[in-house]
Amino acid sequence: MAETASESFTLVITGAPYSSQAPQTALGFAQAAVNAGHRIDRVFLYGDGVHLASALCAPPSDETHWPEEWSRFLVDHSIPGVACIASALRRGLVNETEQKRYELPAANVRVPFEIAGLGEWVEGQIKSTRTLYFHAGD
Amino acid sequence: MTAIQTLHILNKSPDHPRAAQCLELMSADDGLLLIGGGVLLLATGTLPTATRVFALSPDVDARGLGNLSSNNVSAVDFAGMVTLSLQAQRVISW
Amino acid sequence: MIDQPPYGAWTGREALDMAFSLAAFDQPASLLFSGAGVNWLRQGQEAGAIGQKSVEKNLSAAPIFGIEAILADRAACKTFGLDESSLIEGVTLVDVDAALLTDYHHTAFAG
Repeated sequence: MAETASESFTLVITGAPYSSQAPQTALGFAQAAVNAGHRIDRVFLYGDGVHLASALCAPPSDETHWPEEWSRFLVDHSIPGVACIASALRRGLVNETEQKRYELPAANVRVPFEIAGLGEWVEGQIKSTRTLYFHAGD
Repeated sequence: MTAIQTLHILNKSPDHPRAAQCLELMSADDGLLLIGGGVLLLATGTLPTATRVFALSPDVDARGLGNLSSNNVSAVDFAGMVTLSLQAQRVISW
Repeated sequence: MIDQPPYGAWTGREALDMAFSLAAFDQPASLLFSGAGVNWLRQGQEAGAIGQKSVEKNLSAAPIFGIEAILADRAACKTFGLDESSLIEGVTLVDVDAALLTDYHHTAFAG
């Protein structure tokens, strides 16, 4: 196989786990991209996609644990995972900083996900060769 | 094989308004990649003829459509999806 | 692109936020409303009774924030009974076709 030049991707996931296929499709794509020698600059969770960053998902043991699978992949390949702060706060996804700021009873963002603004998405879109979106199917 | 201008990645079922819009806005030098519920287009027998059509095989297999693939449709795996997205000049995720 | 109707779904608002962010980072961006999404552009929206904010003001401020154009699919406007007299100000009617999309480097939906 002819080796192509290394390219980079920003992946935007807008579909939630367990209500859409988006996290699974995005992970399949991301794994294939890394295996082909490309770089994932950033994974950006937007809208309902922020639920993928929840540390509190507890699916039945015979179902794939998408937040866990994604966390492991991000850690293994040192890829930043960023949940949009506006989407996250509205949907009850907070890290410790936001927990303190809003005096909330708990924080629930899973390692290694971070919370940041849409600027991260804009930057990814400028920097990466391609930006792909993984939406819900409905 | 000539270059793909725009790769349209469609994950909506054929009865979704966005699927109709995607099909309407394709040019002859574009490519259509069916993923997720979008692969159900294979079951309707109304595939676009002017553009190249690809379908993500795990999604085709999951929906029991593996035996419907015709010569007009190329099955691709995730590695193929990565390659297509880079070959095309730009990508639209519908 | 916004193709979801207003108030019943959140993706339209989140698409607006995306466009405003692009503009804030000096990236040229336009909004294209199509399908049921054109209903975001109707004059006289009063969303207080359903506990939401009307987006009419946000949209009218779009040019100030650097959004290049607010485009609406002519055919969809016709379907939903929208014309120049019922659309908010600053909307440009366009025929949405393959050629229109090739004018832009990126085309994205919020969900």
